[in-house]
Amino acid sequence: MQKITLLMSTALMSGLGSVAMADDHNKELHFIMCGGEVRAADQAVVDQFIADYPGVSVNLEAVPWGTCQDKSLTLAAAGDPPSIAYMGSRTLRQLSNNGLIVPANISPDVKYQDGVLNTVTIEGTEWGYPHAFSTKALYLNCDVIESSGQACEGPQTWDEMYEMARTVKEKTDAAGIGLAGKDFDNTMHQFLNYLYSNGGVVIDPVTGESRLDSAQTREALEFYGRLADVAQDGPTAWERDQLRDLFNDGRIAMYVSGPWGYGQHNEDINQRVAPIPAGPSGESGTILITDSIVVFKGSGHEDLAHELARRITSGDSQYDLDSSWGLTPILDYEAMGWTDVFYTDGIWPNFTATISTGGPEPLLEDFKSLQSVFTNMVQGVILKDDTVDNLVTIAGEELDEAL
Amino acid sequence: MIRLESLNVGELSLDKLVLNEESFVAGGRKRKRSVLSEKWFAFFLIAPSVFFLLIIVAWPLAETLRLSFMKAGLGGEAFVGFENYQDLLESKKFHQTVIRTFYWMFLSVSLKMLLGLIGATLLNAAIPGRALFRVLIMPPWVIPIAIGCVGWLWLYNGQFGVLSGVGQQLGLLDGPHEFLAHKKSAFYSAVVTDVWVGTPMVSLFLLAAMQGVNRDLYEAAWVDGAGRWYRFRRITIPQIMPVIVTMALYSAIFTFNSFDIIWILTQGGPRGASTTLIVDTYKVAIGNYKFGEGAARVVVIVMLLGVFASVYMLLLGKLLRKYGTK
Repeated sequence: MQKITLLMSTALMSGLGSVAMADDHNKELHFIMCGGEVRAADQAVVDQFIADYPGVSVNLEAVPWGTCQDKSLTLAAAGDPPSIAYMGSRTLRQLSNNGLIVPANISPDVKYQDGVLNTVTIEGTEWGYPHAFSTKALYLNCDVIESSGQACEGPQTWDEMYEMARTVKEKTDAAGIGLAGKDFDNTMHQFLNYLYSNGGVVIDPVTGESRLDSAQTREALEFYGRLADVAQDGPTAWERDQLRDLFNDGRIAMYVSGPWGYGQHNEDINQRVAPIPAGPSGESGTILITDSIVVFKGSGHEDLAHELARRITSGDSQYDLDSSWGLTPILDYEAMGWTDVFYTDGIWPNFTATISTGGPEPLLEDFKSLQSVFTNMVQGVILKDDTVDNLVTIAGEELDEAL
Repeated sequence: MIRLESLNVGELSLDKLVLNEESFVAGGRKRKRSVLSEKWFAFFLIAPSVFFLLIIVAWPLAETLRLSFMKAGLGGEAFVGFENYQDLLESKKFHQTVIRTFYWMFLSVSLKMLLGLIGATLLNAAIPGRALFRVLIMPPWVIPIAIGCVGWLWLYNGQFGVLSGVGQQLGLLDGPHEFLAHKKSAFYSAVVTDVWVGTPMVSLFLLAAMQGVNRDLYEAAWVDGAGRWYRFRRITIPQIMPVIVTMALYSAIFTFNSFDIIWILTQGGPRGASTTLIVDTYKVAIGNYKFGEGAARVVVIVMLLGVFASVYMLLLGKLLRKYGTK
């Protein structure tokens, strides 16, 4: 009897052991990659990670930006979180406040550019591994501008920019500038480029209070409204990436975009890049946006997810991504001992010089409400629904409510 | 009883059958048992449907009602009483959305019914190639809405779209016109697309109804000298009125809750110009994760549709009595 019991116990234990072993060696990390595609630089890291951890697999799911963040949030809220996700850093406050993600564990050896870590830091805790950084500049289609009888030189001030756009509009079939005003996040981003180039602030970094209702915002919004008069018809139907098609087609003389835009424009276009012109109350600036790798709580293998996040965001792999995708360098590679970096010449100074004068994408828990505050305000001035003064006052009140 | 046995409806039914056989012979108390058994048997037969309805209709409705009294988001929920409803009542934007939704529904359904009636009449006429036309009217209805809407997005595009291009060629437009970028044109463009999608179904149902009208009525009227318009007005319309009314109500409810067309074309913009209640609810509940506020909107939608349907059925009864149909 004792033998039988012993045999049964042994069989049971070995069975459980097998299950445990199987569990340990058959882990799947669900990795949601916002942006609709997996970039070669990231894929290479994932492949190496899988090779280094036998039995561990990574289910890489590329989801377009329009639905990606909602998908990750919904999965997490429903109790089936992805292990790891690449998302806009603007979602971090919502995710962390609701206990859906765990803090990042960034190595002190990784040297980020100034301001980058601020985009993932909430009350002293870093919640994401910054992975993609973008700043913006003004692209000029010199063929169009010169056909209007003007020299193709980047405007330094808003007045110069408006005059250039107005002349193009009057003297050619093209619009002076391409403006974004659609119900989409980059409408807010586009406006913030002007606000930060005019010394404006959205949220006070010290007090955390709204500072949107200001003279700088009024000047920026008024200028956006003036630009709408010399822009393509109906900016409220366009988002930034669609403006690229108009630029390529010679239908707009200029528009604001990130460094990746240069490689996406037709080769036969005589293009030029310039910093975003300065407003009357500020100096040339830009919005500083990062996307981050976040590790979700409750996947059961957070340690592996942290390891994958660290690998993807550090050193060679990060440099590969930045240089191959035309991203603003997120790490201070020179401080980390790199020489002959890709961003010291060409168009790059237009994107790196404004980092110090740029402003962050505001971090709010309800980032959709933040987006609608800006979209309402910008669409209001484009459609001439209300006065600039009223629109800014209303936006300030709405932001106070959202905070 | 014998008929049931021949149907061979299973063990339970056969038991009942024996019982019923006995009760038929003995009568009295056993007869009562047999009636109860038949009742329970009927309940048993409808139980799956009832269970199904409870799961997919009653439970979500009850849960939505409960949620509407909560402040609910990603982080959990807390009871707030009628606060969500109070916010809606005090919101000018919400009132505008309600009015806009009814206007959207009225305009779209009216056009669908009018064009559907015209289409059905034409398709019912003895014209060459009638069968082909009946097939050609189908695509807007049968192709996936998302694909149809993408086509309309292209048509409405000011820079590359056909409508703007033709408008400029004909001298109707000074330059490129973005139909979805301006408040009025965005709203009416969405209406046009909704009508495009919904009209074929109305046409086909009305056509089927027209084909069911007794030809003798037309012949008798023709013998009496009635003209085409008179026959249409006094024979066709009254005869198909029940279908017209049913289709109008059906279409109204669908149009009221139409989400995909608006979402794909305008996402409710610009500045809320094409936001209807269902789009607003989606934005609040799913877009902003304010589940409690979204649930309150759903309850309001159900109530509004309930009131609308009741008033409609009341008027319908009067209308049907006027036309002498039941």
